[in-house]
Amino acid sequence: MQIEKFSYDNKVVKWFAFATIFWGIIGMTAGLWAAIALYYPQLNLNYAPTTFGRMRPVHTNAVIFAFVGNGIFMGVYYSLQRLCKARMFSDLMSKIHFWGWQSIIAAAAITLWAGYTSGKEYAELEWPLDIAITLVWVIFGINMFGTILKRRESHIYVAIWFYIATWVTVAMLHIVNSFELPISMWKSYSWYAGVQDALVQWWYGHNAVAFFLTTPYLGLMYYFLPKAANRPVYSYRLSIIHFWALIFIYIWAGPHHLLYTALPDWAQSLGVVFSVMLIAPSWGGMLNGLFTLRGAWDKVREEPVLKFLVVAVTCYGMSTFEGPMLSLKSVNAIAHFSDWIIAHVHVGALGWNGFLTFGVLYWLIPRMWNTQLYSKKLAGTHFWIGTIGIVLYAIPLYWAGFTQSMMWKQFTEEGQLKFQFLETVTHIIPMYVSRSIGGTLYLTGAFIMLYNLVKTMKSGSFVANEEVEAAPLPTEIKTHGKEHWHRWIEKRPMQMLLFSFIAVAIGGILEFVPTFLVKSNVPTISSVKPYTPLELHGRDIYVREGCYTCHSQMIRPFRDEVARYGEYSKAGEFVYDHPFQWGSKRTGPDLAREGGKYPDSWHYNHMLDPQSMSPGSIMPSYGWLFEDKIDTTLTPKMIRAMQTLGVPYEEGYAEKANKDLNNQANGIRINLKMEKIEVGKHDEIVALIAYLQRLGKDIKSAQTAEK
Amino acid sequence: MFFSNKLKALFPVMGRVATLLVVLLTSCLPVWAKGAAGPPPVSSLENPLALTLIIMIAVLAIVVVLLAWVVNGAADVFITKYKKERAGVGSAAMLLVLLSLLGSPAMAQDAAEAGAAVSTTIGGLDKTTFYFLTGVLFLEVIAILYLLYNLQLLIRAEKAKSAEAIAAAAKAPKENWWTKLNKFRPVEQEADIDLGHDYDGIRELDNKLPPWWLYGFYLCILFAAVYLWRFHVSHTGPSSKEEFQIAMAKADKEKEEFLKKSASNVDENTVVMLDASGIAAGQATYITNCAACHGKLGEGTVGPNLTDDYWLHGGKINDIFKTIKYGVPEKGMRAWQEDLSPVKIAQVASFIKSIHGTNPPNPKEKQGEPYTEEAAPAAKPAADSAATAPGDSAMVTKAAQ
Repeated sequence: MQIEKFSYDNKVVKWFAFATIFWGIIGMTAGLWAAIALYYPQLNLNYAPTTFGRMRPVHTNAVIFAFVGNGIFMGVYYSLQRLCKARMFSDLMSKIHFWGWQSIIAAAAITLWAGYTSGKEYAELEWPLDIAITLVWVIFGINMFGTILKRRESHIYVAIWFYIATWVTVAMLHIVNSFELPISMWKSYSWYAGVQDALVQWWYGHNAVAFFLTTPYLGLMYYFLPKAANRPVYSYRLSIIHFWALIFIYIWAGPHHLLYTALPDWAQSLGVVFSVMLIAPSWGGMLNGLFTLRGAWDKVREEPVLKFLVVAVTCYGMSTFEGPMLSLKSVNAIAHFSDWIIAHVHVGALGWNGFLTFGVLYWLIPRMWNTQLYSKKLAGTHFWIGTIGIVLYAIPLYWAGFTQSMMWKQFTEEGQLKFQFLETVTHIIPMYVSRSIGGTLYLTGAFIMLYNLVKTMKSGSFVANEEVEAAPLPTEIKTHGKEHWHRWIEKRPMQMLLFSFIAVAIGGILEFVPTFLVKSNVPTISSVKPYTPLELHGRDIYVREGCYTCHSQMIRPFRDEVARYGEYSKAGEFVYDHPFQWGSKRTGPDLAREGGKYPDSWHYNHMLDPQSMSPGSIMPSYGWLFEDKIDTTLTPKMIRAMQTLGVPYEEGYAEKANKDLNNQANGIRINLKMEKIEVGKHDEIVALIAYLQRLGKDIKSAQTAEK
Repeated sequence: MFFSNKLKALFPVMGRVATLLVVLLTSCLPVWAKGAAGPPPVSSLENPLALTLIIMIAVLAIVVVLLAWVVNGAADVFITKYKKERAGVGSAAMLLVLLSLLGSPAMAQDAAEAGAAVSTTIGGLDKTTFYFLTGVLFLEVIAILYLLYNLQLLIRAEKAKSAEAIAAAAKAPKENWWTKLNKFRPVEQEADIDLGHDYDGIRELDNKLPPWWLYGFYLCILFAAVYLWRFHVSHTGPSSKEEFQIAMAKADKEKEEFLKKSASNVDENTVVMLDASGIAAGQATYITNCAACHGKLGEGTVGPNLTDDYWLHGGKINDIFKTIKYGVPEKGMRAWQEDLSPVKIAQVASFIKSIHGTNPPNPKEKQGEPYTEEAAPAAKPAADSAATAPGDSAMVTKAAQ
């Protein structure tokens, strides 16, 4: 058989590696900014883009899609070529993929800072960017499958199974969740409303964790860990069972983000049980990684790469055990909406994703530059600073989350809430300070790595095309003796794609179809009416400023929440919410029934200077809302879009809407004037007050009427 | 010889540690028994603090057992030498068990008495239970430290031993529970299970699934089935809404019982003007909760002026009490009944009455109807409040707690 000569493309790997480091540092800095803003709200500089509500989506998107995203592509482009014994299918596609992805990230950062957001967590990017992501993802897919198809290796290795499942599932999640109706270049409304929107969003959000932060990184682990340790993978059988079980079960678990909400109970229960069943498949990956190191533990002590990988895999094990525990309703009742969840995700993000990325970088760069790592000692320092950073980050937040949640739930013997919401916030501020120190340490570590890697690159010379040779794939693959049944599919990448797709599609379909079609899941409430045009504008501002990053709109059926916020939320109250704004964190109090709680002037003063109305509050001021005006020319478009989405405005209302808008705005203006406050009727603050005063009122007025 | 002398002393001690553990675990039982028999049944188990402590006790107990195991295993080499001493240990252990059997009922009785006598609680647990649980924890920590100390001694002893002894000692932990638990094959034999796969130099082994992992997986699936059956087929578990109703019913009952017993059951019909200490307490509550809208001195900002003669919803103390309690949502005054106890509302209402006519700077313009104190009825409550002053201050101190 003729031996073929060819080369691996290291150049694209190099570019993705650079992008990983660059965006990693940007994303972590944005995170640090947001963390400090939580105890020093003046950090917003009275400037919209630097306010927490916009910084936080920039941080999450940068870390997930820019840092980890580029990390995935770096690792996949390196390992895929070597596991397939083939150069990437098309250098041009690699290039388009790289530059396409970087421009999406840059555009994402700019638009998020500018306030263009769809208001759905981890899917905030507006519709033009959603389309761009789809296109780049398809190019990545063609490039990946092209490479797999022209491989010189008869079977595909477990790492590639994970890459395939990742690709197909992320495509499905992104497309389904991004269904939205554009009304302008940078504004659209989610296709789904309320409970359904929440279900789709958390099916997406949960599985973004699963198929963007987990499965591709498991693939990377399966390549880089055995390579770095020079040990065989512990158990092939374990790989098979944990791969299929993981991708099948993961997809169902989304509703555990919505426990005790207005989501139907049956869907919540599915979220609980599938999360619990997820422990073993997740741990299968951890065990296969750690047991692969059997006989190489002495190397772990010496080799920084292995140190990073071991801590990464351990953190993976910890957070995938904690996740199912958090999905138990009794635990969730305490942890949800609190900083506990922030701690939980950061054990995963900083430990698993961050440390694995660092390990891979320390391993890849010396190899591609044909040299040794500049300083193992510095890498060791990075390892320790990073580890201490994670500990200092996570422990205070676990403490803060638990303490605050317990304070929320306490009653005096007379039956009154023991603590005002604000008291529970000021109580945990020291923990916020400590967590930002942890974050600073972690970021410092990243800078140490940057220095070490730059020095390494300078000491070597980059090999852009790594020359190799291998025999071509024989036309007929002969099997010797009895083979494991799973070897069949390992020779057939397209079947692998199809079966993975089936595995991940089942859970979503079985949860969505009943929620969308069975009426009893979202019982209608006749008193719930569509938003007025002014309230719609106000809602857009609420979404734009990322209020949902700190305020929930979901009162759970607990004694303390009902006492603090009012009657618990019902599914029928959200039928006109495109998108839903239930939120996932209560840095500030719940706003589901904020309407009518305070006078208009209170909201006016509070948005201008929160501390004047709530001394000690950590909410930033929103000065620009008092200068900027709403664009009333958009009103007819907004109403028409809502009509398309099924909101029952009367026919032809779009044209009359601005009249109602002006009337309502004048009402608020007069209210404020009586308090000696002068506003323009189209000031953004007026629209926002209109929206806030509407929240939860429909069902309140219905009850008063009944009485 | 120094080491052998040390070790001689060691074995009885280790036996005692093991007995201590048995004593500790059995002595936990009275706590549970008490929980079941006492007035609030199961409540100590529902208490998160108690649960945490019990879990910590269990975890530490496991650590103690494992450590004892390790110490025993590492000491295996020496055991044959000192069989005679071990016979002695056995009788010592018996004695300890007997002692502890005598001791634990007595302890339980003490605990029950103490529990009845002292009503104060720590983190929702009565003091005795709390101290008992933390005491157990403390003893476990001592046991762990002690075992670690012994382990260290043993390691030192082993180091001093010859090379063969080290090999023999090292062999014992290799056949340990971890290897068995995972069905590990020795690394040297891995060529037998090499599948012959080679992906860029990565080989794959055909190791069995770790049995505990596999059975854990089955167990989780079983959990899922039982969970769904319980909550959606048999309906023996409460739904979210039912949980809420149960919690509310319980809270209402507790609240009612408390208010029946206490003197703080004031409402808008029975409220009277309080004395100076009540007003001072009211001022503190006012500053934290009300000043943002009504001004520090009651001059009014977002909310109306409270010092002038004009009232939107009535200026009688009963009216003020009512306004605070239920709020006036359509005017932007929120209800405070879920946040402030009736006593606190009475204090705030008294404080507000007390600042009438103080003419603070920057007053808000007058709103509502003028209200003048009706001389005769107003005097009477004032006299009443003076008469009941001791009772009031008792109430205040209670509220302050």
